[in-house]
Parts: sequence; C-alpha cells; structure tokens
Amino acid sequence: MKRFDCLKIAAEEIGDALVISTVGGAAAEWNSIRPGDGNLRCRTLGLVSSIAMGLALALPNRSVVGLDGDGALLMNACGLPTLAWQNPPNLTLLVFDNGIYEASGLRRTATSAGADLMAMAKAAGVKNASWATSLDDFRRLLQEAKSRRALSMIGVKSEAGVDYFKTWQQLPSFEYNEVENLYRFMRHIEKLEGRRMVPLPGPKH
Amino acid sequence: MAADNGPKLIVEAMKEAGVNFVASLPDVNLSKLLAAVDEERELTHVTLCREEEGIGICTGAYIGGRTPAIIMQNAGFLNSCNALTTTALNFNIPMLLMIYYAGDIGDEGFSTLGSVTEPVLRGLGLRYYVLRKNDEIGATVKGAATLAVDSRRPVAVLLAKDVLGMRR
Repeated sequence: MKRFDCLKIAAEEIGDALVISTVGGAAAEWNSIRPGDGNLRCRTLGLVSSIAMGLALALPNRSVVGLDGDGALLMNACGLPTLAWQNPPNLTLLVFDNGIYEASGLRRTATSAGADLMAMAKAAGVKNASWATSLDDFRRLLQEAKSRRALSMIGVKSEAGVDYFKTWQQLPSFEYNEVENLYRFMRHIEKLEGRRMVPLPGPKH
Repeated sequence: MAADNGPKLIVEAMKEAGVNFVASLPDVNLSKLLAAVDEERELTHVTLCREEEGIGICTGAYIGGRTPAIIMQNAGFLNSCNALTTTALNFNIPMLLMIYYAGDIGDEGFSTLGSVTEPVLRGLGLRYYVLRKNDEIGATVKGAATLAVDSRRPVAVLLAKDVLGMRR
C-alpha cells in the first residue's frame, strides 16, 4: 500500500479533525492532500503521539489525528503505555510503517526485522490497535475508529524505497515555518472553539 | 529544620499562575510535591514513562489552551533536551519546568548530575531560577510562569530539597 493513497482516504474520512503530522514524507504528502491551518507539522522525531495526546486531553470534544511513522514510534515507544493509561477517546493515531528511516537516509528500522508496532501498542494497553490489510480495510478501520469513540491506532505496512522517496520529495514545499504554523493552527482552533487560545500580549506600554 | 509546607506553597503558586495541566515523572524527593498536585482535583495530572514525551504532551496541552507545567528530576530534564530544543523552543511554547535539583549543595550521590544541570540549561538558552527558601516560592514560581508566557519559551525552576520538604 502507498501511504499517499491511505492519506487520501483519511482526508475523506476524518472531517475537520485536527492533524499533527510526523517529521518526513507523511507531512509533505498530507499537506498536498489536505492543506490548511488544521495541520501542525511536528519537528521532533517521535513526538507526534505525545503532542497529539496532549491536544486530545486539552480538547476532549474535538477529534485529533496523529500521522506517525515507524522510526518515530520506535523512538517514543515509551509513550505507548502513557497513551494507553490516559486513553483519550478522541485520538486516532495512524502509523505508516515502511521499515526504513525514510527521511534520514533510507536505512532499515527495527520493524524490518520483525518489531510489530500494533502488537507493542496492544501490549502497552492500547485496546484498539490493528494493521490495515488493504486500502478498503484501512477505510473500514478509520470508520470504526470514528464510531467507537475510543483511542484507536491503525497501522499500515506502506511502500518504501528510493523511488517513493523521490516522489514525495517532489511535493510542494511548506509555506510556513514552525512558528507561523503553530500560530495559524492555534488561531484555527480558536475559531472552532470560539475562545482564546494564544495568551494575550503584555501591557500596553 | 525547614518548614515542610513547601510543596503546598509550590502547588498554590502554580495554580495562582494559571497552571492547570501537569505532567510528571516521580523522584522520591518529589513525593510530597506530587502528592500535593494530586490533591488538586482540577489539575490534569499525567504520569510519564520518560520526560521527553512530557515536553510533547505539555506542548499539545498548551496548543489546546491549557497552561502546562512538567515536574521532573534534573536527570529527566537531561532526557528531554531534544524535545525542549526542537519542539518547545522551535515552536515558541511557554511551559514551566519544575526540576528537582539532585546533586545540589549538601546532597550525596548525584554530584555529576548536579554539576551539569545549570550549564545545560544555559547551553539551551533557558532562563532558570534556583529555589531554596520557602518564603521565595510564591514570587519565583509565579514570576517564572509570567516570564514563560512573555518570552514564549520554557522557564525552569530548580527545586532544592529545602522547598520540597525533604531536607533532613
């Protein structure tokens, strides 16, 4: 399965969910499929699941989706039990496992040697963690995640390799740096929530 | 003997500063402070497995409108340096870093950790304030929280055993 095809399906299924994307190709692909201020691009390998969890806890009435990868989830594997413990029902984590550090030189990750991220998630206490076996199955799992209103993880064994790397490298560049991305994202949430998120500036002198 | 109401004063100051989201990883010297946090029902309190994830969780909470603080030992601060750099500093995220200062003057067993703590804080460009007296708790914690928001960066408070009610 191609990650790009999965992300197109995700864009159809997740509505106006707030999306936190991991470092690397998934962010560029998502940005080309669903551009806009409802996306925040993470810059720390591994931290998508944690940032998305914090956001989901802070906004319990809003859907949050994290786009994660194998290298990232392996780096922050100790975040899985924390995620299961907090168990935010409004969070869905999509994990694209291509078995390589795609954005960092294409070398293999431990999942290429058999580490099973959904099994790890289940062992950490995440009840709903499944591998999608096809694009149709991926769509079905997304729909299930939406209707069950419980923390869900969906894994995809996605296509890897130099050709794929070249494809996402040709996608449009990001228009904003991290800080502008953050403020646009927070202003977007302010509009949805109808209340202030960004702290007020200091005194008028 | 130091008065042992420090933990209560710290939590009161955090609440007065608007903190309503706490991530923590225990240390025996943080026991009384974490117990005081748990007494506050309106504080969301997330127990971590590793401190670096806590920087991400606090970042997410901040984006969602909360005022976050992370309570950890200085070893945990070292664990969280990449996240502090590439997330908190990179994205202008204010948060209070409440760090137990293991290896501070008079301690035994953590002198190496104690010796690198302040240089690493300075290396990251993080403002920090060492808190050793109960009568300085309110002003320091509230001042650090104000500075975090105003500078749009994490600000650290190094907590000596004295203010944690743990000095023997």
